[in-house]
Amino acid sequence: MRARILAVLAYIGAAVTLLIAACVPFVLMGVFSNAVAHAGLHLDPSYSGGTIVRTVAHSGYQMDVYAPVRPRALQQVAAFVQIAFRPVAALPRHVSEEIDLDGDGQPDVRVSFTVPADPHARPSGEVVALNAKYQSFTMPGNYSFSEMMVQSGGAVVVRVPLR
Amino acid sequence: MLGLATGPICLASCGPVVLPWMLVQPQRVRSHVRQLSIFLGARLAGYLAFAAVIWLAGIALARSGTARSWIMGGVQVLLAVGLLIYAAAWPHARCGFVRRRKNDLVQIDAASTATPKPRPTGAIALGFLTGINLCPPFLVAGVRAAQLPTLAAALMFFAVFFVGTAVWFMPFLSLGVVRRTPSFLTVARMAAVLLACWYGFTGGSLLIEKAIYG
Amino acid sequence: MASRVLTRPPALRSPAFRSIGRSVLLTLPMALWALLMFTPSFRQPGRNLHIGALLVILFMTALFFLMMRTGKTYRWRRYFFVALGLLFPVGFIASLVAVRGTMSIPIERMVSGDTPFCYMVIPMLILPAAVTRTIIFPGSILPTASNPHSIAIMIGLWLALTLVVGKAWCSYVCFFGGIEEGFAALPKRMKIRKLDPRLRLVPWAILLFVVVLSAALFEPVYCMWLCPFKTVTEYPAVHSVTTAIQMGIFITLFAGLVVVLPYLTKKRTQCAFFCPFGAFQSLFNKINLFEIRFDREKCVDCTLCQTSCPTMALSAESIREGKTLLNCMKCGACVDSCKKSAAVWHLKGTKVALKPERARLLFLYGAWAMATMFGGSILANSISTIIGFLPLR
Ligand code: SF4
Ligand code: SF4
Repeated sequence: MRARILAVLAYIGAAVTLLIAACVPFVLMGVFSNAVAHAGLHLDPSYSGGTIVRTVAHSGYQMDVYAPVRPRALQQVAAFVQIAFRPVAALPRHVSEEIDLDGDGQPDVRVSFTVPADPHARPSGEVVALNAKYQSFTMPGNYSFSEMMVQSGGAVVVRVPLR
Repeated sequence: MLGLATGPICLASCGPVVLPWMLVQPQRVRSHVRQLSIFLGARLAGYLAFAAVIWLAGIALARSGTARSWIMGGVQVLLAVGLLIYAAAWPHARCGFVRRRKNDLVQIDAASTATPKPRPTGAIALGFLTGINLCPPFLVAGVRAAQLPTLAAALMFFAVFFVGTAVWFMPFLSLGVVRRTPSFLTVARMAAVLLACWYGFTGGSLLIEKAIYG
Repeated sequence: MASRVLTRPPALRSPAFRSIGRSVLLTLPMALWALLMFTPSFRQPGRNLHIGALLVILFMTALFFLMMRTGKTYRWRRYFFVALGLLFPVGFIASLVAVRGTMSIPIERMVSGDTPFCYMVIPMLILPAAVTRTIIFPGSILPTASNPHSIAIMIGLWLALTLVVGKAWCSYVCFFGGIEEGFAALPKRMKIRKLDPRLRLVPWAILLFVVVLSAALFEPVYCMWLCPFKTVTEYPAVHSVTTAIQMGIFITLFAGLVVVLPYLTKKRTQCAFFCPFGAFQSLFNKINLFEIRFDREKCVDCTLCQTSCPTMALSAESIREGKTLLNCMKCGACVDSCKKSAAVWHLKGTKVALKPERARLLFLYGAWAMATMFGGSILANSISTIIGFLPLR
């Protein structure tokens, strides 16, 4: 009797599996994807740059300053602050600006770069630290997650390493 | 907070040590609680002993980035060597663990009413060693402790750091219900070798980088 | 102790296992499913894609028909799986080169979340996501115009497929496994016969290693350091000693585990002895209803099944117990090779060997439907890409 019940349950299970298979492309995939999308997850800030804390509007374009990103645990990325100038199409050919990164009213770095005509090319320019909290660098140079000046996602993204 | 935050790394650093070791303990949650307590107690002792040393030497250490890199590199290589020795030592009866495990299992099987008494030596040794084995989060904590004004504050800092990290070890208790097979031990040893390769590589490259670029 | 492992191609049972009429009837649902899956492709513009879709419908339906007609599973599944393994990189690399002009991922594309998500990362995501809600992958959570293979879409797809196929993922879904299955199929005889059975534990050790270390380093360690398939998909741009070492590791692992060793051993050595995702996926064998069992009354312990298993998922003990090991991916090679019909498909909860063909059919409808949906669409895209390269008018 027990074997019979088990067998019936097994066939019911197999039928349910087939039903699930039929639902995968039409319902299930979407349901699961939505669940993942709404699970409150976020990308690691070493990739995404973190959260925007201040936006400065310029004529035609804007500059977003992000919160500092510090390595977690044994993460090998050094601490940095991201700045994004967007949209690239509205940027003047040459940008040079003193930027307050920590919101204390004093400029912390001077960022200068030339926007290349090729949308895939990397801008050339430099970051000059105006105080000891930040590090200066020149591009093209060594690109890393904590030190870069690139065109990415319709913006010129600059990451300034923290000391 | 640092302890809590670095907990996952503590698991990463100590996990491969704790995991296989816990797996060779008798398959009982109570036994695991006892063994883990001894392990963590010994780890705290290791922490406090090292806190004193790192505080005394630490001010100089914290100031010199180069010295820190040398020490980090050296420690990681040592950790790699330790893991390799540990992985290689497991299968041999001479290390004592395997023999003890067999005895325990026999005791459990033969008389389930009798309480098995695993000797605490292994737990104490491993706990103390992981306590002073300078795993990277421990070094981070060490550098911060070195900047504290008094030895007492450094000791206190390490005690709190220990509590934070200890929380992360609790899931190991669930291993008490995992069935023991030789495969578990082999997997744990292989993972230890892989981790040794990782620490060897990162530590070695840090040392080479320092040797070349200063 | 190293065990002696011999591999021979699975022997053919009588080709007429079923009549043509019955085989056609059983194939009909699968043919309709294939049509349904590719209807959207026909609505899209592009003659090449239409040709690709049509070829895939015919290919998948024909293979299923042959499975029904001959009673063999592995033999025909292999054509699909090898085609998938060989064509996936073609389509993928072509799309990468079209979009970014190179197979390497420049740092700006990682920063803008344009890295297509690969399911191999999933085990490494779990701990950091559970503890800090952070995803340690440079993709985007929601699909974007420049990255349709977003994290949510791909994890959703993986979850749904895994519910149906479990570890059979490695026989019917994975677009990497077919590459080594192809190389393993090339030689007539195996050149290396002795393989240490402990090797099958290595994927578990690598899984433990990458999961723990990824949580510590907050980066997908396997993708950064160990994935052999970076060689034929995409890789971080080489710009330093470290990235050069990483690239060297990828190429060495690919050449060794995916090309040379499968050729020498006739095993899927990367899947059997390395892939941590495969090990992770093995856990789903516990909850999947279908499995391979051995009828001990018919089994004569000839070990033909054991030698034919491409992933060493059988041991003498497991066969004596009438079971496979946890890493069985339900490819069906052992069943195909058994001359005594002792290796059988089985639905958990039913009596072993009572209705093995029914169990096989129930399993295959689900698994082949997923293969057609997922692998089939990859094949269709790759075929249309290849046609695009041909100097046709
Ligand atoms: S073992 Fe890994 S590479 Fe092989 S088929 Fe499975 S997931 Fe794919
Ligand atoms: S045991 Fe599983 S993996 Fe091995 S041949 Fe049989 S079905 Fe394939």
